[in-house]
Amino acid sequence: MQTLHQLPVNVPAAPSGASRVGSIPGYIYAVVFSSLCVVTGLLWDIMWHISIGRDGLFAPPHLVIYIGAIVAGLSSAYQILHLTLTRNHPGRAEAVPFWGVFYGPLGAMFCVWGALAMLTSAPFDDWWHNTYGLDVQILTPPHTILAIGIMTVQFGAMVGVLALQNRLAQTADTGTKRRLQALFALSAALLLTTLFTLGSETLGRYYSHHSIYYTTAAIIFPIFLLAVGRASTLRWPVTTVALLYMLILGAPSWILQFFPATPRLGPVLNPITSYQPFIFPLLLVIPGLVVDALMHRFEKQAGLTDWQRAVLYAVPFMLVLLAVQWPFGEFLHTSPLARNGFFLSYSWKYDNPLDWPYRYAFSPRQLQAPAMFWSGFSKAIFYAGLSARVGLLWGNWMKRIVR
Amino acid sequence: MNRYRNGRFGVLIGLLVLLLTGYRASAHVGSAGVVVQKQAGRYTLLVSVQPPDVVPGTAKVTVFVEQGRVAQIGARPVYFLSGDEGAPTHDALVRQPDGSFAGDLWLMSSGSSSVELSIDGPDGRQKLVVPVVSVATALRDMPAGTGMGLAAMGLLLVAMLVTIVGASNADGVFRSGQATPTQLRRRRLAGMGVGLVLITLIMTGWRSWWTSTATRYRQEQLYQKPALLTTVQPTTAGGQPGRQLLMQIDTTRFGERRQLRRPLSFMIPDHGKLMHTFLVRTPGLDAFAHLHPTRLDSVRYTTGLPPLPAGRYLLYSDVVYRSGFSETLTDTIDLPAPQSGHIALADADDSWLITASQRAAANTRPLPYLDNTMVSCGKPGASAPLADGATMVWMDKPAAVLEADRPYILKFAVADSSGRATALQPYLGMSGHGVILRNDGSVYIHLHPVGTYSMAAEQSFVNRLADTTRQFHYPDANRFRDSIDRYVARLKTLPEAQKNRQLAAAMPAMRHAMPVNNLVSFPYSFPRAGRYRIWVQVKRQGRVLTGVFDTDVNDPLL
Repeated sequence: MQTLHQLPVNVPAAPSGASRVGSIPGYIYAVVFSSLCVVTGLLWDIMWHISIGRDGLFAPPHLVIYIGAIVAGLSSAYQILHLTLTRNHPGRAEAVPFWGVFYGPLGAMFCVWGALAMLTSAPFDDWWHNTYGLDVQILTPPHTILAIGIMTVQFGAMVGVLALQNRLAQTADTGTKRRLQALFALSAALLLTTLFTLGSETLGRYYSHHSIYYTTAAIIFPIFLLAVGRASTLRWPVTTVALLYMLILGAPSWILQFFPATPRLGPVLNPITSYQPFIFPLLLVIPGLVVDALMHRFEKQAGLTDWQRAVLYAVPFMLVLLAVQWPFGEFLHTSPLARNGFFLSYSWKYDNPLDWPYRYAFSPRQLQAPAMFWSGFSKAIFYAGLSARVGLLWGNWMKRIVR
Repeated sequence: MNRYRNGRFGVLIGLLVLLLTGYRASAHVGSAGVVVQKQAGRYTLLVSVQPPDVVPGTAKVTVFVEQGRVAQIGARPVYFLSGDEGAPTHDALVRQPDGSFAGDLWLMSSGSSSVELSIDGPDGRQKLVVPVVSVATALRDMPAGTGMGLAAMGLLLVAMLVTIVGASNADGVFRSGQATPTQLRRRRLAGMGVGLVLITLIMTGWRSWWTSTATRYRQEQLYQKPALLTTVQPTTAGGQPGRQLLMQIDTTRFGERRQLRRPLSFMIPDHGKLMHTFLVRTPGLDAFAHLHPTRLDSVRYTTGLPPLPAGRYLLYSDVVYRSGFSETLTDTIDLPAPQSGHIALADADDSWLITASQRAAANTRPLPYLDNTMVSCGKPGASAPLADGATMVWMDKPAAVLEADRPYILKFAVADSSGRATALQPYLGMSGHGVILRNDGSVYIHLHPVGTYSMAAEQSFVNRLADTTRQFHYPDANRFRDSIDRYVARLKTLPEAQKNRQLAAAMPAMRHAMPVNNLVSFPYSFPRAGRYRIWVQVKRQGRVLTGVFDTDVNDPLL
């Protein structure tokens, strides 16, 4: 039986107009732009809800999300239909055939799926509101479909960039390679921002002395950061993506807080006049730097399995995260120096009472006895190991995407 | 992410949901909508507020201007907790083709809230407040159309996702010609299989999350009221053998069920009485009593029973809390036959009446002998004889059969035995009380000339709006309860005229005089089609008189 390596490899010199060496098709820029729109709209929407409260179908933040969904969905659908309907299209060789009829790049398939999921969540969400009342939390079953749709669109953007990056690894010029590296880091950071936002209910500074904070971080970060670390061709991919995440999450808050906003729902217990910012990002760049350094050391070291690497990356990641976020969370939560436009701790939702005793202090419900904390943190390290292992597997796959 | 809420699409879906699903409401027993007829400065307004049936949700506010030149009307929700200072800015209501003003108002919190209207125009700027009880009462299933549409999209999404996962494991990671078609097919199938298993697991977890949310909604958010445990006991109060009702509010599940818990020490009197209890014999709705139980302690109330005939009675007890939250506690009791002898009522404002059963009355046209003398106010309607020989006439009834969901002003005039208009006296501080009951007991409302809401709730809000504190803090429960008990007991001992003066002074809404002193009118919108009985209670020559009317109500044509 032939092995994969023995098979004749037929790599076209200039595969198609869509992926010419030295050029990045506009479709790739479009989906990364979509991802940026969706994240910006999402963060604006959150700030709208904590400052103004009431929204409608065509509230400005929603429009930004729609633009993202429409651009990603339509440009990807066009890509698929163009490949499918053009007989003998040279790009078919770099597309995935499916359902016996269609041809599409993998990234475009993810984007179309994400846009359809977002569309499906709309009538479901409307029925949900009519049946159980307007939800006041981020995560509900219909919002989850929306969130998965959003993340799939964003992941589609990543896959689109990756396919091009992996395909052109040997042939592209340095400029194209750099642009692809930057696009991948940006699309990954955008998805990381969404991921953080979904977990933000337990990743706020209030919980920074509670094991649930570290458990959430252990589940969502290693899987993503290590996958990115493996798949990116950057020298410091995790650090770069973590830094970009901090900028993407922070920038809308740093800017929007200077714009006027009046609560349009009651009760108004905090009579604000300007937008309340969302949240100061986690200092992910520090554990990210450690992970990058460890990856430099262990990725090419022979004799190590990915299970061992997962442990070697996850445990230091969690310990550094704890060493950074415990004191930094305390600073953000309790220090008067954090209550400003940069660290954003002054932010207070319009319907929260101003005399809440735990606005700037840890509530007993958000603290644990040391034994409880360390027991929870140990479990978090275990989850981080598993998450890291899946992340490495996912990274291996991302490294191989070529369509 | 609260999208699609106010859009046209949302409205269509909402209408579909309303058409296809059941609607069960409990506050005020099936009549959650508030209809108010009020004077504010030179304006006379008929206001209809349909509170949301899920919370947070939107209340539908409609204002009909009966008198005055109105340029614009603004509306905003005011919560008891946060008062005037904590209310958002007014939303402008939109003028409708029929001249009314309408709009949707978001009510975000369960419990006691209100709608404050700000009226502006050449006749000046005025404000008025309408108390609204905002609780989740709807239990809905997904309409078949929505369900099938979502299921179809769900299937498409699953099929696409399985395909994508399959492709991700096969074609997606091989360049053209790097793998044989057999290898690709095998890898594709393996990917699809693993993808399907993962998707099934995720969807199973997701579905159980949805189920648990629905269960939590039913158990924790849906309106529930404490049970009323009613017993009939013999008594010799007043030196004569008789019967008394003992009502106990069931507090046994207060600990485990938050939505059942009530601040029982913070009940406040509504037009001078802590509890208004109505007893109606079922079926037939022929025996009726309006009683005012006395509080024994924070959970027990008692009242003497008039000699009502034996039978099964529906019991409705209206109470109001300090926050303005009002509700009707209900029970069903079996009364044995009364003992002979005259029974004095415990409270001078109590009353009772036995009349023809509804089934018989529905086929019989009451004698219209007084109608010709009462034409000055418009088209004459049905009339009902009163206990002292006078007659009550339902004036200006727009049609023999009324329409559901349409605000009406139900007007009743009283004429003495010679057919002349006769003056009414205030009864509990106002010109009359009305009770409307659907023949199956599923809709009940105790209403007043200004509307279907509690005067005490309105007073709570008027005071709260004048208070500039951003958050309300409750006083000591025992002292508050004692002070209310003393107030109610003292009111009972006052002479009638003085008592009415005090009650009227405490009710800002009652300060405008009725246009005709033999006329009492009630704004009301019937929530559902069916056969209804209306008891109208007025006071004449020191005696509480009750007129009884029946009417059929059909579903609206549109």
